[in-house]
Amino acid sequence: MAATVPAIAPSNHAWDFSCNLDVNFESEEHALIVYTALAVDKELQPDRVKRVMSVSDNKLSVHFEAIEARLLRASFSAFVDVLTLATRTIQDFGQN
Amino acid sequence: MKKKIAIGFEGSANKIGVGIVTLDGTILANPRHTYITPPGHGFLPRETAHHHLDHVLPLVKSALETSQITPEDIDCICYTKGPGMGAPLQVSAIVVRVLSQLWKKPIVAVNHCVAHIEMGRVVTGADDPVVLYVSGGNTQVIAYSEGRYRIFGETIDIAVGNCLDRFARVLKLSNDPSPGYNIEQLAKKGGNFIDLPYAVKGMDVSFSGILSYIETTAEEKLKNNECTPADLCYSLQETVFAMLVEITERAMAHCDKKDVLIVGGVGCNERLQEMMRTMCSERDGKLFATDDRYCIDNGAMIAYTGLLAFVNGIETPIQDSTFTQRFRTDEVHAVWREKEELGLDKNVATN
Repeated sequence: MAATVPAIAPSNHAWDFSCNLDVNFESEEHALIVYTALAVDKELQPDRVKRVMSVSDNKLSVHFEAIEARLLRASFSAFVDVLTLATRTIQDFGQN
Repeated sequence: MKKKIAIGFEGSANKIGVGIVTLDGTILANPRHTYITPPGHGFLPRETAHHHLDHVLPLVKSALETSQITPEDIDCICYTKGPGMGAPLQVSAIVVRVLSQLWKKPIVAVNHCVAHIEMGRVVTGADDPVVLYVSGGNTQVIAYSEGRYRIFGETIDIAVGNCLDRFARVLKLSNDPSPGYNIEQLAKKGGNFIDLPYAVKGMDVSFSGILSYIETTAEEKLKNNECTPADLCYSLQETVFAMLVEITERAMAHCDKKDVLIVGGVGCNERLQEMMRTMCSERDGKLFATDDRYCIDNGAMIAYTGLLAFVNGIETPIQDSTFTQRFRTDEVHAVWREKEELGLDKNVATN
């Protein structure tokens, strides 16, 4: 895991708060495993927080948008917890 | 033929557990870790999830070491889909989704309540009992009929274990190993019965009124030396357990079954077992109960129930491996029980 770049960028309408998170993995396979595991759980308030994920090469990119800073923080923080768990699971059980 | 093996993850409440079992119900490993809060406090979703995050991976390692199997030996990976608290449930779900991809093994989602029942059946050998499922989050009287575990009676507000846990907080009893255990020990020293509300409503029970009553009167009664904390524990246990025995007996009469199986965390209370045993013997039936190893939430019960489903062709695609706070016992189609009933598949039948 490396390079976390959260940046609050104000925009025009309701989705005023956003941030991005990029995580580099050892391989594209690992990035896809984490992507697949985390894509299952949708945001609980889709009308207030949006999360878009993508994988390119060995990088997992996540984009968050929310209508309140509080919701953005909560969603981001919960996501980092499970992202860390998924990554540690690969570290502990990924080598054959 | 190689024995079918499953690994199961349970983390719906304050216990995180990983179990490894075979199809005949043999438990190869079943380590768990409990989140214990200070006296006077309950467990909250976020803190509980963090506890699970810290302990789940060491538990997987420990389970693999104890069972002396490798990931290649595993046939399916099972997890608790619900019911339970959302954030703690997610921990198991995430680990299972990653392991499923790393090890190339299928996932099986399991209903927590059904897992308690199947574990109780395989451990005790109870064939077709009326089941009393009593824990911190659930209180249900259940019997199998036509492919499903049907709920004949249940709590209309809080679970019996929740009532006991919250009363333990009033008395500032220790939550180690569990509040219910400490109430049970203290109750043995009580003898002065305090009248409490008795709330059976048809097939259902209610505990919140009893809790409010005892919470408000306890302080005053204790201050005036009208009773001791032990008397209150004794009276609360006698009252709520009598209610549970009453609705269980009614369900037995209704479905014409003679035996009772008690499962769930409150099920290891020996006073509850004693009262239920008396009722069963009066009806020429038997009581089946287990101790804290199997009663209390554990990974093996999830693994075993998931494996029963798996050998009957049930798998959960990864995109559907969600978790849910509400998941009723009767939503599950217990295909393995149908086969048992028909005697079609003797290998699958629990022995």
